[in-house]
Amino acid sequence: MTSIPTNVAQPETSGIDTSARCPLLILIGSAIAWLVVGGGLALIASIQLHTPGFLAHCPFLTYGRMQAAQETAFLYGWAINAGLAVSLWLLVRLGGVPLRATGLAAVGAIFWNLALALGVAGILAGDLTGFAFFQLPAYVQPVMFVAYAAVAVAGVLAWTGRRNAFTFATQWYAVAPLFVFPWVFSVAQVTLLFAPVHGTLQAVVAAWFGQNLGALVLAPFALAAIYYLLPKISGRPIHHYDYSAHAFWALLVIGGWAGGRQLIGGPVPVWVATTGIIASVLLLFHYVIVGVNLAGACCPRGSLALRFSAIGLKAYVFGGVLNAVTAIRGVAMLTQFTFFSVAQAQLLLDGAFTFMIFGAIYFLVPRLVGKPWPSSALIRVHFAAVLAGLVLKVGGLFVAGWIQGGDLNHAAVNFPTIAGDVSLWLIAATAGQALTLLGSLALALNFTRLLVVRAGQPASEHFRTPAALEVPVS
Amino acid sequence: MKSSPLFFLGLFSALALSLTALVLATNAQYGSLAPFADATAGAAFPQAPLGLAARGHMVYRDLGCAACHTQQVRRADFGSDKERGWGDRQSVARDYVHEDRVLLGEIRIGPDLANFGARAAAHGLGAAQLLAFLHNGQGAMPAYPFLFVKQLVTDQRSPDAFAIPGLPDYELVPTHRAEALVAYLLSLKADHEYPETRQPATPAAPEKGTK
Repeated sequence: MTSIPTNVAQPETSGIDTSARCPLLILIGSAIAWLVVGGGLALIASIQLHTPGFLAHCPFLTYGRMQAAQETAFLYGWAINAGLAVSLWLLVRLGGVPLRATGLAAVGAIFWNLALALGVAGILAGDLTGFAFFQLPAYVQPVMFVAYAAVAVAGVLAWTGRRNAFTFATQWYAVAPLFVFPWVFSVAQVTLLFAPVHGTLQAVVAAWFGQNLGALVLAPFALAAIYYLLPKISGRPIHHYDYSAHAFWALLVIGGWAGGRQLIGGPVPVWVATTGIIASVLLLFHYVIVGVNLAGACCPRGSLALRFSAIGLKAYVFGGVLNAVTAIRGVAMLTQFTFFSVAQAQLLLDGAFTFMIFGAIYFLVPRLVGKPWPSSALIRVHFAAVLAGLVLKVGGLFVAGWIQGGDLNHAAVNFPTIAGDVSLWLIAATAGQALTLLGSLALALNFTRLLVVRAGQPASEHFRTPAALEVPVS
Repeated sequence: MKSSPLFFLGLFSALALSLTALVLATNAQYGSLAPFADATAGAAFPQAPLGLAARGHMVYRDLGCAACHTQQVRRADFGSDKERGWGDRQSVARDYVHEDRVLLGEIRIGPDLANFGARAAAHGLGAAQLLAFLHNGQGAMPAYPFLFVKQLVTDQRSPDAFAIPGLPDYELVPTHRAEALVAYLLSLKADHEYPETRQPATPAAPEKGTK
């Protein structure tokens, strides 16, 4: 635990933070629970990639369903729950007024998670849709749409009721996903499930949805957090802040188009793939500005929260550059349909998004409950485990994908040979998944203790300076 | 940024743009693509799958087969799809007009299956061999023992049942789901030539709907 500084500065918390406590704790608690569940499912799926017989005797645990279930638990369980919590908290904090519609948000959060639990059970029972990033069964999707909207209402009210007319980059990024997700989710529901479009149009719509979910929902959640945390914790301004609006609008306008890059060479109109490639390259503009804006996060001093954010930022920019490079047809010929593209997705989801959100959670939860984290050792364990896990699983999959891509392009190499060539690297990825799960358990334990254990001294003592709630790096 | 209405107008326009292009315009372009009526063959292609095969498509989806297999052949100069014998021509949009759930797949942990039925016929692979393959698994492909039921042999062996080595009184009977899945896999043929596939070096661009 950190020592309490003696100098008394501005109080760091207020009723504004605590106004949002109930819905936010439901969201964050569920997010962490889903992170652990998804991590367990991902570990099983990862083992099955190099040991196909593992748990194969049971239909619920067959690889195809495991993969869909772990992806869904991660995206809709961990990522959306945590993203919404961070977004709401930032909007309330920067808006300067207490959260309104807290009851609605809490009910929305509860229904979201109940429906999701039913959906994941449905996937394991065989009701997956088959579309990547959109595997939830049709019977839970409308409920989830309404539940998300209920939570989003609170965020939008915090935006519209803000005290200052002028808004900061964090607020743009925090409020955008509250609109984007219901929109793209409902369009995908109608055009893929309830009144499905014909033929390969489904693949185009599914790619469009997946791209929007990643780039216009999850990425903005994470960017909102880091645009707030970096200046707040480090006390330094954002470099060239004037350009941040360009980065935001570039992402919003171009981001939704880039999904077509996954359909290169596929049975869809060529222009879909071509616009996907062009959009992926144009998006470099966004990544460069974000990189320049937040370059100060690259050497975090004095804060573990910022250390998470810094890793996330590096993964984000690196992932964006990789998306542009692999969109080029010559490169896509090698990486398409391989573990390389899986690694790219993981770099952005498990790396960029997750690390930036971890940073935000370590910063905001103590302020929400008025207690510091009970164990800084557990935070260190979490950081070390998820960082090592990320390097192992993403690195392992990158190498495996590269080998697999080379092998696939040689017609003489058969599939059992390819499986043998990549198996070592898939084992490395499994080790990475195991470490990630260990890290998630450390976070879950710390979070549970924070909620359960009573603070040793009056909580207000911890809030004299912002630093009091941080865990210093050394 | 100060003006909320302007901000939300921007958000709305940005989303509407990609929605219009990728969902609405593509739908207008080929959403009503129809089977090709081949006068010489006296039939329309592709042909709709028959009952058991259509049910097999649902099994294919619910077991998540698409997590490892693609169903899209790329053109000859893009990857080794043709050399591997996955198809003589590139897959085109018309190949999928009968499928109510199109599962193109994103990763090739196993081979592409767009033309699996045609390939199996060429190699003399029948339902019995495929069922055995499903039961045993091979290489990176897991076994699917839950698609089979072990039962006592009564007076007569069930059709399609396998003998179990060492257990002469028992037999292994494929479930309806296994039979449907195999029928589906054997029905996968995308080898008919359409006007759009006859032009060399014209990638994927499908024709407008023939409404």
